[in-house]
Amino acid sequence: MAQWKGWRKVLTVLAFIGPTLIGILIFSIYPILFNTYISLTNRNKFHPNPDCSVGLTGILEPTCWAVFREHASAGIGEPYRLKEPLFGNYADLIGQFFTGPVLLALAKILACFVPLIIAGPINKRLDRQLDRAVQPRMVTLTAIVLGILLAFALNVKDAIALITGSGDFIVVNFSTILYVLICIPLFFVVGLGLALLLNVPDLPGRAFFRVILIVPWAASNVAIMIALVWKFFFQEQGTINQLLALIGLTGRSWLQEPATAWFVIVLANVWMSYPFFMVTILGALQSIPVELYEAAEVDGASWWQRLMSITLPLLRPAIIPIIVLSSITTFQMFGTVWAITGGGPSRGAGTPGATDLVMTYAYKQVFQTQAYARMGAFAIIIFIMLFAAILYSLRISRITKGAYE
Amino acid sequence: MKKLLFLVSLVLIASFMLTACGPTTTPAPATQPPATQPPPPTEAPTVAPTVPPTAAPVTITIWHMWSGDYLTAIEAVFQQYMVEHPEVTIELSQPTDPTAAMAVAIPAGEGPDIIGWPNDQIGTNALNGNIVALDDYGVDLAFLQSTYEPAAVAGVQWNGKIWALPESQEAIALVYNKALASASDFPSNPKDFTDLLAKSKAYFEAHGIPLFCNQGFPGGDAYHAAALYFSFGVPTYVDDQGTVYLNTPEALAASNWLLSVKPYLLKEMSHEICKTALIEGKVAAWWTGPWAIADLENAGIDYGFVTMGKPFVGIKTLMLTKNAVDRDHAAVALDIIEYFTNTANQKAETLANKTIPANTAAFMDPEVQALPTIAGFGANAALGIPMGSTPYASAQWGPVGDAISAIWNGSQTPEVALAAAQTAFEAAIAGMK
Repeated sequence: MAQWKGWRKVLTVLAFIGPTLIGILIFSIYPILFNTYISLTNRNKFHPNPDCSVGLTGILEPTCWAVFREHASAGIGEPYRLKEPLFGNYADLIGQFFTGPVLLALAKILACFVPLIIAGPINKRLDRQLDRAVQPRMVTLTAIVLGILLAFALNVKDAIALITGSGDFIVVNFSTILYVLICIPLFFVVGLGLALLLNVPDLPGRAFFRVILIVPWAASNVAIMIALVWKFFFQEQGTINQLLALIGLTGRSWLQEPATAWFVIVLANVWMSYPFFMVTILGALQSIPVELYEAAEVDGASWWQRLMSITLPLLRPAIIPIIVLSSITTFQMFGTVWAITGGGPSRGAGTPGATDLVMTYAYKQVFQTQAYARMGAFAIIIFIMLFAAILYSLRISRITKGAYE
Repeated sequence: MKKLLFLVSLVLIASFMLTACGPTTTPAPATQPPATQPPPPTEAPTVAPTVPPTAAPVTITIWHMWSGDYLTAIEAVFQQYMVEHPEVTIELSQPTDPTAAMAVAIPAGEGPDIIGWPNDQIGTNALNGNIVALDDYGVDLAFLQSTYEPAAVAGVQWNGKIWALPESQEAIALVYNKALASASDFPSNPKDFTDLLAKSKAYFEAHGIPLFCNQGFPGGDAYHAAALYFSFGVPTYVDDQGTVYLNTPEALAASNWLLSVKPYLLKEMSHEICKTALIEGKVAAWWTGPWAIADLENAGIDYGFVTMGKPFVGIKTLMLTKNAVDRDHAAVALDIIEYFTNTANQKAETLANKTIPANTAAFMDPEVQALPTIAGFGANAALGIPMGSTPYASAQWGPVGDAISAIWNGSQTPEVALAAAQTAFEAAIAGMK
């Protein structure tokens, strides 16, 4: 039996975890460090090359390493250097957000949700009471009405305009979060509706529909091509307008108007994503004991009451992880939007397009204008935001709970 | 036994790691001259060399933006070069995004030896060090002036150096389908946009289809929209000193004209939409360049030309990359570039592709001069504004395109859009300086 202590133990452990550690260092830690450094410089298409004599640049910049130096471009442009002030790129992106008026505008928007937040605990307390003075749904309805009234009273429309006018970063993040908030409930509603329909035992052609409705998900492997088909549908000379013309209606330039362009990218995403929800919910529906429905029927519960009191609560463990996963993929949406609208229609120079989301905007900034340093800062801020969001989602969804048990 | 296994595992892991960290390419021989030191300048050639500069087998990679039938005639020239120089293999490749591909490939040593690009890319790529000046490899102004057209000679120079050899000159013209319209449907004065507006309205009302299609208007394509803006007196979008001419009365007048003609045009226009619309008889004319002619001829369209507006005159060029120098391919690559742009090959390519050759002797050839496309596109090019080679030129497309697109779709008024574009463009130029 070999000795299992001291340096031998350390060496053995290192031999096993070393390759993984090196992989993490090379493929995760180094890119983050390098990106963070670039975000503090003025690197762009006109200052793309490094000055290898600068300490950190010489260490972090690959083209300064001996193995790459032979091919490194020198050019006749000035090398990039540290930005003055150092956090200038960050200030350009979010500096205006942290000003009094913009924070006040944000507070006004959040204030509109206060009635709904308060309604939650009230409803919980009401649920525990047998003799309720007010029905929980009335509390929710009142909270919604109060929220809407507050939105008018606090002039939320102007507050949103102020926030979206405070910089590109805020605009594209606002658009992306809105896109997620619109898409995810639609994925859920369409997926749930179709799953419930396909779960009806005596539905004619049930097997056929189960297969055919998954096709969009199968086609998502070629998402760009499918997106181009959607674009073709909604072009001025496209299928939709030609169909409208057949019934005597005049079509419109769907992709040239901000609202309709938004509608198209939401529709295309819903079409490609609902099968994921449908299949998951359909699977989860099979695991709900039939006895529960039978008991509810005996008690005289309506279809709606059975849905709200049995189906949805028991679907919750299956739904929350897919909502989290779909929120992440929708936040990162690129190909579909890029192929259909390219981020447009344009809202003018120096302003993100009407359908520019985080990824399309970042792509344009990096690959079309080569604003490397600015986008380095953009990526770091997004990284922090998503890291926080993922930590929170892990907590509420308990996806990784099993790993620690 | 366990000790032995432990040691073997350690050695294996260490060897895998060392293999993974090793260089993927064979190191350059010690005798190779340093990459930063170009070969000593030689006597300026006055004619393209016909003797191959090397007898050793060599593969030259060319990245390009040619496509479709246009590419077929070009491939034939390179095939002929390989027949004449059996030791040389030429590989053609078309990257999806050449700017991004170059930024990654050149430092990695995986870039092309030659890249075919318009001259507005010269400034930025010279700054980046992706391309090298040809002065250091024996190309001088005397050779340029004796071989190529004056506009092309000017287009390949920047910062006192020669950065490319010109292939062809490009300008857009109104190409109309003779089955749908005649010259009388268009203004006789190429600067009379009031007449073009009136004729667009009349044609639309009479036939129910637009008179012309221009992808620059809704698509935010500053190149195609230039024919309109320069006609209204905008001198250029940005000059060599970095002065921007967007927030000007001339640009405003052009933008207002754009809104006036919008009701009589398609709302969405792109290269494919315009091409299909012209071929299918849904639009009478297409404001396009020589690259579209091969497709129209294949579709059997009987076309004519109208001289209208002041288009951008771009120069298609071939540039020598830094990787060609690193690989010691510079002499062969330059020989290929000169072969491709010589009189015989430019004439052959022009007769096939209907382009405007940059080579003077090819341009003056009677057969070439007899081509209707040379007269058609040439007349428009003669009125046009040369595209700059400065780094500022490569930064113009975004701000101008966004402004035109915003004006077209109504997101911004012309005044607001042009002011925003001026600000964004000037901010970009400040970043360069």
